[in-house]
Amino acid sequence: MSTTNTATTTAVSVQNVRKFYQRDQIQIKVLDGINLEVPQGEFVALMGPSGSGKTTLLNLIAGIDRVTSGRVVVAGTDLGPLSEGELAKWRSRNIGFIFQFYNLIPVLNAVENVELPLLLTSLSGRERRDRAMTALRIVGLEDRAKHYPRQLSGGQEQRVAIARAVVTDPTVLVADEPTGDLDHQSAEEILTLMETFNQEFHKTILMVTHDPRAATRAHIQHHLDKGVLSD
Amino acid sequence: MKFAPLIFKHLRKNWIRTLSTVLALSVCILLFCTLQTVVEAVNFGLHAGNASRLVTRHYVSLVFNLPLNYKQRIEAIPGVKETVMNWWFGGIYRDPKNFFANMATEPQAFLDLYPEIMLPPDQKEKWLHDRRGAIIGRKLAQRFGWKVGDTFELESSIPPYRVGHPFDFVVDGIYDTDEAKYPATDLNSMYFDYKYLYEATGRNLGIGWLTEKIDDPQHAGAISRTIDGEFENSDTPTKTETEQAFMAGFIAMAGNLTLLLNGIGLAVAFTILLVTANTMSIAVRERQQEIGVLKTLGFSSGLILALILSEALIIGVVGGVIGILITVGILKILPQLPMIGDILNGYPNFGLSPQTTATGVGIALLLGLAAGFFPAITGYRARITETLRQV
Repeated sequence: MSTTNTATTTAVSVQNVRKFYQRDQIQIKVLDGINLEVPQGEFVALMGPSGSGKTTLLNLIAGIDRVTSGRVVVAGTDLGPLSEGELAKWRSRNIGFIFQFYNLIPVLNAVENVELPLLLTSLSGRERRDRAMTALRIVGLEDRAKHYPRQLSGGQEQRVAIARAVVTDPTVLVADEPTGDLDHQSAEEILTLMETFNQEFHKTILMVTHDPRAATRAHIQHHLDKGVLSD
Repeated sequence: MKFAPLIFKHLRKNWIRTLSTVLALSVCILLFCTLQTVVEAVNFGLHAGNASRLVTRHYVSLVFNLPLNYKQRIEAIPGVKETVMNWWFGGIYRDPKNFFANMATEPQAFLDLYPEIMLPPDQKEKWLHDRRGAIIGRKLAQRFGWKVGDTFELESSIPPYRVGHPFDFVVDGIYDTDEAKYPATDLNSMYFDYKYLYEATGRNLGIGWLTEKIDDPQHAGAISRTIDGEFENSDTPTKTETEQAFMAGFIAMAGNLTLLLNGIGLAVAFTILLVTANTMSIAVRERQQEIGVLKTLGFSSGLILALILSEALIIGVVGGVIGILITVGILKILPQLPMIGDILNGYPNFGLSPQTTATGVGIALLLGLAAGFFPAITGYRARITETLRQV
C-alpha cells in the first residue's frame, strides 16, 4: 500500500480531479478539475443540485470509485495506485460510510449489522460484540441490539448505520444525504449525532446534502455545480 | 467461521427457496445413487464367473436342450477336466412374486466345480444321498425362514417339467461362501439333484447347459472352439463361452441398461443444475445492493465470491447428505417390495456402495459449486457505484 506524506493536519486532499463517464459513444464530464483540502477533524458539507457531481466526489474520496485524472489523498494515502483489493482493505480501516437509505443488511439484527465491518479484523468474537455494543450505546440504541432493520424506524436505522460506520474507528466519515430519507426530528437527531462524533471523537466528516439546514451544522460548506467546486 | 452467521442467515432468509433447492438436489442425488446402485449390482454379476469354467449350451438358445451324450463327448476333449449338467427348473414357490433361481444339477460334480459353494460336511453328505434334497443359499433361507430339514414345494413354469403336481423338496443344506474370496457368489439360489427331475419327467430330459472345468484358463478359447467344432455339423450345434460371457449373455441388456441409466442420471443432474443455478442467480441478484454495501465496508471481491460460493456449497452438501440418507432408506425398502424386490434380491451385492456414496456427495458438491459459480462471479465483478445506484 503506497503512502504519501501530506501535511498531518490534512485528512482529505483532492488535487485537480477530473471524472468522466463513458455512456456508449458519449463522454459525460462529471467532475472537472476539483481541488479540495479538508483538514483533520473538520465537518464539511458538500452541496449542490442533482447531477452536480457531489456523490461522485464523495465516492472518489471514499475510495469506491476511480478518478479519470488527478489525485486523491485520504488519511495520508494516495488512492490512485492502490489495487482493488488494497482499496477494499484501506476502506475497511479508514472510511466510515453513511448512506441515504441506511443500507443495513436485512437478515442481520442491529448489533450484527454494526459488527459487520469488524469481521474483517482479527478481533475475537467477544471483542467484536463488545465493540459493536459500545457503538450502539453511543448512538443510543443499546436496547435495540437484537432488533432487525424492519423493526426499527428510519431514524433508528440511520443511527445503527452510523454505529456501523464508526465501529472500526475510521479516520474519515463520509455521509451521502444522511438525512435525505428522514423526518425533521430524526434528521436533527442524526445531525446532532454526527456533530458529536466530530466534536467529541474528532472524526473528519464529509457530508453531501441538499438540505441547507443540515449544511449549517457543518463548519465548512462547499458548493458543486456542473462538476466545478465553488466555496 | 466468523462469516458463517452471515451465510446461514441468508440461507434462512428465504427458507422455502433454500429448502426447495436442497430438496431438488436431494432428488438428483437420490436418483443418481439409486440408478448407480442398480448398475453396479448388474455389473457385479459379470464378475461372478470363473475364468477356468466354460459353459456350453444350444447354439440357438438356452430354451433348447442338448443331448445327454454330449457330456461324455465333451469330457473326452483334451483340456476338459470335469463337467456338470445343469437345468433351469423355473420353479415357483407359492406365488410368482416369490421368484428365486432354482436349478437341477449333478450334486457331486457341482460341488467339485464350484468351490465357492460351501456346505458343512454333514449337510453335504446328506444332499449327495437324498434324491428330494436341495441346498439353498443363506440369503434365500433367511428370506423364507427355511431351516435344514424344512420341506417346501415348487411348481415349474417350464412346460416339459410340469408333471401335474408340484415337486416337493427337503432342505438338506444351507450353503454359504467366503465373501472375501468369492464376493459375487449368489446366495439366493437353490440347487437339487437332476435325477429327481429326470425320473419325474419319465427319463425324457436333455441337458440344459453344461459347465466344464478346464485345465488352464489360457486355453479357454481353443477348448471352446474345439467343443463347438465337435458338434458344428450335428442337429444340435453348441455355443461354448467362458462363464463370464455366459453371464453377460444372461444380462445382455446390461451394457445398454448402464448407458440408459447413466443417461437418465445425467439428464436429471443437468436439469437440477439449471434449476439450482437459476435459484442462486435470483438470490444473488436480489442482493446486488447488499453486495455493494459489503464492498463499501471493505469486503474484497474475493471474499464476496467466497461467501456466495459457500452458500451454494452448503446447499450442495445438505442436498447431497439428505439425498444419500433417502437413498439408504429407499434401498432398504426396495428389496422388500413385490416384483421389484424379487428382481433385486437376485443380485447378491445390491446396496449402496462407499464409491457410489462418495460419488453422490461429490456430484452434490460439484452441482452446488457449478450453480453458485456464475452468481459468485457476478458478485465478484459487481462495481460498488453501479450496485448502489440501483437503490
